[in-house]
Amino acid sequence: MRASADLLMAALHSASEELTGKGVRFEVFARLGESARLSRDALGALERRSSREFGVGCRVSGGGCAGFGAASGRGARAGREAARIALGAMLPSPDPLPPRSVLGVTGTSLPHDVPDGDQLDAVLADVATRVSGGSHGVKLVQARILAGTSAAALATGEGFHATATAGGTVMELLVAPPEGPWRHFHFAAPVVSDLDPATITERVQETALLATRGRQPERQLADVLLAPAVAAPIVEALARYLTATGDRDREVRVSGVWRLTDDRLGPEGLLPLQWDGEGLPARRIELIQRGKVGERLATWEIAQRIGGRPGGAVRPSYRHPPAAGPANLVVHPAASTPRSTLLSRVASGFYLAAPAGSVRVDATEGRFGVHAAAVALREGRPVAAHPLVELRGSFRRLLAGLLATGGESESFSLSCAVTTPSLLFHRLEIA
Amino acid sequence: MERDQPTGLAELATAVTRARIPGLEDLYVERRAESLWRLAAGRVAARETSLHEGAAVRRAGVLISGDGLDRSVLASLLGIASRTLPAFSVPRFPEPPSLEHALGELPTDWVGVRWRWTWAAVLTGRRAVTVARPQLAEATLADGQRALFCWPPVTATLPGSADVQSVAAVRAGKVRVLLAPAAAIVLLHELVGHPLEADLLLEGASPWSRRIGERIVRLPLSVTDDPTRFDLPGGFSADDEGTAAAPRALLAEGVLAGALADRRTAGALGVDPGNARRAGVHSPPRPRISNLVVTAGNLLLEPPRADASIEVLALASGTLERASGMVLLRVRRAFALRRGARRQALAPFTLAGTVETVTNGLLAVAEPSTRTSEPGWCAKDGEVVPTGGFAPWLLLDGLEVR
Repeated sequence: MRASADLLMAALHSASEELTGKGVRFEVFARLGESARLSRDALGALERRSSREFGVGCRVSGGGCAGFGAASGRGARAGREAARIALGAMLPSPDPLPPRSVLGVTGTSLPHDVPDGDQLDAVLADVATRVSGGSHGVKLVQARILAGTSAAALATGEGFHATATAGGTVMELLVAPPEGPWRHFHFAAPVVSDLDPATITERVQETALLATRGRQPERQLADVLLAPAVAAPIVEALARYLTATGDRDREVRVSGVWRLTDDRLGPEGLLPLQWDGEGLPARRIELIQRGKVGERLATWEIAQRIGGRPGGAVRPSYRHPPAAGPANLVVHPAASTPRSTLLSRVASGFYLAAPAGSVRVDATEGRFGVHAAAVALREGRPVAAHPLVELRGSFRRLLAGLLATGGESESFSLSCAVTTPSLLFHRLEIA
Repeated sequence: MERDQPTGLAELATAVTRARIPGLEDLYVERRAESLWRLAAGRVAARETSLHEGAAVRRAGVLISGDGLDRSVLASLLGIASRTLPAFSVPRFPEPPSLEHALGELPTDWVGVRWRWTWAAVLTGRRAVTVARPQLAEATLADGQRALFCWPPVTATLPGSADVQSVAAVRAGKVRVLLAPAAAIVLLHELVGHPLEADLLLEGASPWSRRIGERIVRLPLSVTDDPTRFDLPGGFSADDEGTAAAPRALLAEGVLAGALADRRTAGALGVDPGNARRAGVHSPPRPRISNLVVTAGNLLLEPPRADASIEVLALASGTLERASGMVLLRVRRAFALRRGARRQALAPFTLAGTVETVTNGLLAVAEPSTRTSEPGWCAKDGEVVPTGGFAPWLLLDGLEVR
């Protein structure tokens, strides 16, 4: 941890030295990421990776111009190069840098350690043995586990300085049921020890065997219950859509069941942090609540330009300037309704158990689509299986149509962290 | 491919070999510069530039990678003392080109242009092989669609960028479609390119596993993976394991003819390596497509619009579902045809069919063949590399509209 702190500080100092006296306001962001990844194929062959990424991003502004530059490499040199590039990239622009008075304070989070290879080996081997074992016919095609940590530091020319650390683990499994499409599973947790092989195996076997054969359903509007794994990428797409569209969808009809927050400060969600991508204190941002679209995620510059509160910036990498976007999304259950109760509420519809591929978004039209494994329901009972259906709809319908939420939330590490229970929607398009 | 004596890379390769590092396969070093111009109403609103450098070592089946490109970084990755490595130098990062000079007038329906320059070298044995690649240009349109070219970007109207006043929904059911080159290349990328990547063939995840030498298409259609085409985005002088680039026939007059392999998989399939690509220093080399070049005998002189009910100009994406063998084409821009003429623009829809439906349904190939800005960035297990294409028009029967 000491070594990473030294590296970050060296980068901040060198960039600051390069920029001080140049007549510009500036912000320097440095990030060190370390990860270990283990991948196992169907025959048990292992592929290991260990990576260490370090880079610096600089924003500068002054004289009615602003610029951004980034560089990877050794600490001090990367800082100097990023500063030099940022100065060279200055073009006429409003000042995007927030003033010192709105920035937060340095947190004191404990360091995260990258788990050793043996720990990853043990968990992956345990899951592989369990998933492939038994007489259910489910075969493991590929299993991966990735554990990573990051340390970041941010400083401005006006004396603000903050540091943060984060860590997490993701396991992904590709399994082949006895027939039908292969299925992909994703599990995320703050630390490796939170991944329970027994629970993972049970979930994989249950879901992989759920819809192995069946015909394509007719195109129709139907009530749809989304398992958390299907709901999570859709929730993320919705949050990004609301961020991008601004006020366009502020006045649309919204179900009172919705409560979606970007819980940046925690404790809920997978990835709380103490400050946003620009150094503003982290806070809970209510995106949808009480039947209305709430606050819009905004950077300082966006908030100045169109109104609203800043604090919604994210910075997934040093390579790009901070942008408005979700960080730690949480769908709050309206009531602790078990999934079985939600299923019984579907008079005629579908249960979407596992996603197949990523969510496609047409931002211009405000529509989304995703493929998934599904079970057709009548009066809450399964009547047919469909290995691959397409769920389509508009984000407006998604906002208006939420009927109920389950009580069992799960967390996923997508482009941002998402924690959601099962979601029951009224009349979405299935094809 | 060329030896890089003046920079000291050959001496570095020799020193690494002398260190006798157990299980060492290769050392990969890379520099990459990128600039992004954000555009608004036909002018540059902001510019962001980033410089990246790093190295990766493959040692006893483990990929160890890190950012930075000096002796201490390399020594740390190799697990040896820095003093055992000689001084070396790598090319300087170039200044980003002038967008205004390259394009003249900036298109008003573009919101961004990205430029990428990459230099890399592979040190294996006592050899240092530099990897040259074309500079890339990526245009982002207002609707979020992206188009990939070799630098400089092409400002001709891209599929999807033209205004369409009204669109109609297409009726579900089987259709005969005419695929423009930009759509045809995405189909063949998914149908022929990915399934002939050696790792997928060996995994049994390809419909063409154990079928090399079989005829799969009745038409005399040929598909070649050609990294030597430096006018297309997937070009390279040597692959990311240091093997000299060479065209590789994948489909020869309708017959499966070859596979894309790296060193690890080539032996198992009995083919030559030379198709290993890395998404960056932190990704291992894997068999990947570079540029697909499609040719055919008996080409029609013009697209047979009278024989199709739908003309597909561009796809949002194409997928070959592993194991289930379903081909899914998500159509972004298409027209309904009547008596050989465009009648109505169509709303986005999905075309679906089995691999057999597609291979049996290919009815004709027509000029003009063109370079395409698709498939562009190609993702495999989340690792993205640039690819290119050169294709004719295809007449395809039997896919189902969903």
